[in-house]
Amino acid sequence: MLARRSLTALAAVGAGAASLLFGTCGPFTDVTADSFCPFVLEIFTLGITTGTSATTYDPTSSVSRLQMATFLSRSVDGVLKRGSRRSVLGQPWTARPESGLGLVTVGLGPNYLQSDGQDVWVSNFSSSTISRVRVSDGKLLETWTGAYGGQGVLVAMWRVFAAGYTNPGSLFRIDPSQPAGAVTTVASTLGGLPFGVAFDGARIWTANSTGSVSIVTPTASIPWTVTTVTTGFNAPWGILFDGSRIWVADHNAGTLLKLDSTGAILQTVTVGEFTTFPVFDGTNIWAPVPVFPLGVAVVRASTGTVLQTLTGNGLNGPSVAAFDGQRVLVTNFDGDSVSLWKAADLSPIGSFSTGAGTRPLGACSDGRGFWVALDFSNQIGQF
Amino acid sequence: MRNASSTRKKILAAAALAAAFLGGAAGRLSGTCGPFLDVAPDAFCPFVLEVFTLAITTGTTATTYDPTSPVTRLQMAAFLSRSVDAVLTRSSRAAALNQFWTTQNESVLGLTTATPGPISVRSDGLDLWVSDVVVGTVRRIRGSDGRLLETWTGATYGSGVLAVMGQVLVLGNGVPGNLYRIDPSQPAGAVTTVATNVGIYPLSLDFDGERIWTANQGSISIVTPGPAAPWTVTTVSVGFMRPYGPVYDGSSVWISDNLRGALLRVDTAGSILQTVTIGATSRYPVFDGTNIWVPSSDSVVVVRASSGAVLQTLTGNGLSSPLSAAFDGRRVLVTNPLANSVSLWKAADMTPLGSFPTGTSSEPYIACSDGANFFITMPEAEKLARF
Repeated sequence: MLARRSLTALAAVGAGAASLLFGTCGPFTDVTADSFCPFVLEIFTLGITTGTSATTYDPTSSVSRLQMATFLSRSVDGVLKRGSRRSVLGQPWTARPESGLGLVTVGLGPNYLQSDGQDVWVSNFSSSTISRVRVSDGKLLETWTGAYGGQGVLVAMWRVFAAGYTNPGSLFRIDPSQPAGAVTTVASTLGGLPFGVAFDGARIWTANSTGSVSIVTPTASIPWTVTTVTTGFNAPWGILFDGSRIWVADHNAGTLLKLDSTGAILQTVTVGEFTTFPVFDGTNIWAPVPVFPLGVAVVRASTGTVLQTLTGNGLNGPSVAAFDGQRVLVTNFDGDSVSLWKAADLSPIGSFSTGAGTRPLGACSDGRGFWVALDFSNQIGQF
Repeated sequence: MRNASSTRKKILAAAALAAAFLGGAAGRLSGTCGPFLDVAPDAFCPFVLEVFTLAITTGTTATTYDPTSPVTRLQMAAFLSRSVDAVLTRSSRAAALNQFWTTQNESVLGLTTATPGPISVRSDGLDLWVSDVVVGTVRRIRGSDGRLLETWTGATYGSGVLAVMGQVLVLGNGVPGNLYRIDPSQPAGAVTTVATNVGIYPLSLDFDGERIWTANQGSISIVTPGPAAPWTVTTVSVGFMRPYGPVYDGSSVWISDNLRGALLRVDTAGSILQTVTIGATSRYPVFDGTNIWVPSSDSVVVVRASSGAVLQTLTGNGLSSPLSAAFDGRRVLVTNPLANSVSLWKAADMTPLGSFPTGTSSEPYIACSDGANFFITMPEAEKLARF
């Protein structure tokens, strides 16, 4: 057996004079070495095709829709993997146990966070501060003060914004080009107890848990103009912009609500009880559902169709979803863990502990990996 | 953080969810492979699920995929186009940073002051380098937050900027033209002059992996970097009237000649190999990996780099004497200084995404991208804007 295997290996090595695979076009004997050969070689090299056998590609047959799905799926995966910063930086791994998390101590009760690409901005609810942590080395760079009840964080307009969990609610602004100090309150008349905050390219939207959505229009002077809409809202928590519409996750109603530019509800999608903070991956919205049916609902943004409700994969009190270009991460507040999926086909990657009693809540990507806010341990972790 | 829920509420929620939940034990759609009844749950199913999840296919109906039929060339075009779009959207830095918006107006532009004459800008990936035509400074501004990190001096009549070879190069728009060099690893100070014999009034520059190409009044210059100043300069004037922008496409250097109204492909010696007629004027172009976008009089001409064929002349979309183009991996942005606006297209199919006001008297001038955002100089407003 051993001898036969060695002989086969030798034969394969000996076949090509210039260490090419045998065949007329790479490994394939049925593809001519003409101007189409480079394309066949590329999809073989990338693993998009395996050929019809080890030495044949069957170039003249037509492609069935099933084969096409395979080719396209592998193409998308190959490009996303090669194009990711994690691949380029030689970091294909996923952090496993808590010992693999890069931990940074921030303020008290860190809950939500967002990256500007270089730094991560963290709102610390209990200390009313916002921490700035450098992505590349985890150094705590700055602490901004006066962010009372800091919740969702938004990076837009070369500024950092955070919602203030007060009644009425507040919107805080940081100019990150200036030395750290107190935040600026640009609006203090939002609907009550806002959590999430989003931007549509012109206006800032907040999801207010007392039953409203506020639309804030930036103006030259402070305070900024606020319009608050209550019709049809029970308890909005999460909010996102999908490139054309704002979506709100209504916690008590268990729904995702698609809104028009005035805040009126265009579509209601039932996702599950006490849904929390969703994320958009470019095609679909991932909505964590912590109670019933416990899971993550994946909703096609263009139609509002629920594609699938993902279950298992270590979900335990799923709270906040984040997307890094390839993967979706969901924090499990009750499970002291995070669950990961491959975003393109909804296949589970696994769940990973963040440490007992850490209570992971907020999550974001810096374009390379994930950051998670550990609410009870006053730290954020790089995943 | 979680509200206690009443039994009644749970029952109501359960009723509302019943339809969605009955489909599959694990919340799956009702088919044998995702929503599809005609695809077996075998080794091929995950691939079908992926193209469905990414909206590359919608199926032949809501519950069928028709797996055995051959793919026509027309269906193939739809599949490939959607695949490319899905990859470009997901792999962009903006997607991972939750930035799916397009900046709509001047009230939400990110602005940083760059007094008195910011003229050209390039990103080194992290920081922006901004030349100043009035006082000859070069500012280093952090892309992520707009903080002014450093100010370098001595780049008199600063025009085009280029971040290459771990250095920053800046043109001096004088007679003759100068080329200045910054070593970004050193503390800020005076720039080093590496060439004082570039053709007159150079506007912009590009790099072919070995040499620097500059577009000057009536000529182009080819500068060979060396270990010490001065660097060797060869200036070619045959066939050139008012070159604006050199652009390297990975194999050839192209020169946009404003007065000739042409895009000129040159050989390694700077001799013109091919002339593509653009129109009355042609200004600062950009290469998107396949095509070259050349701003012209109230239009943008899109040229296939591999052949020189004009694919399309884009008009409308707010174009008004467009000046410079930039590419962020998905979109092309063009500045309209006279209209105080920028125009945006999806690069992959040249569909217009709209034009957006940048503010009264903002006069957006030169644009660049760092892969997530566009950055635009506004000499009249003395600002650098993040779009």
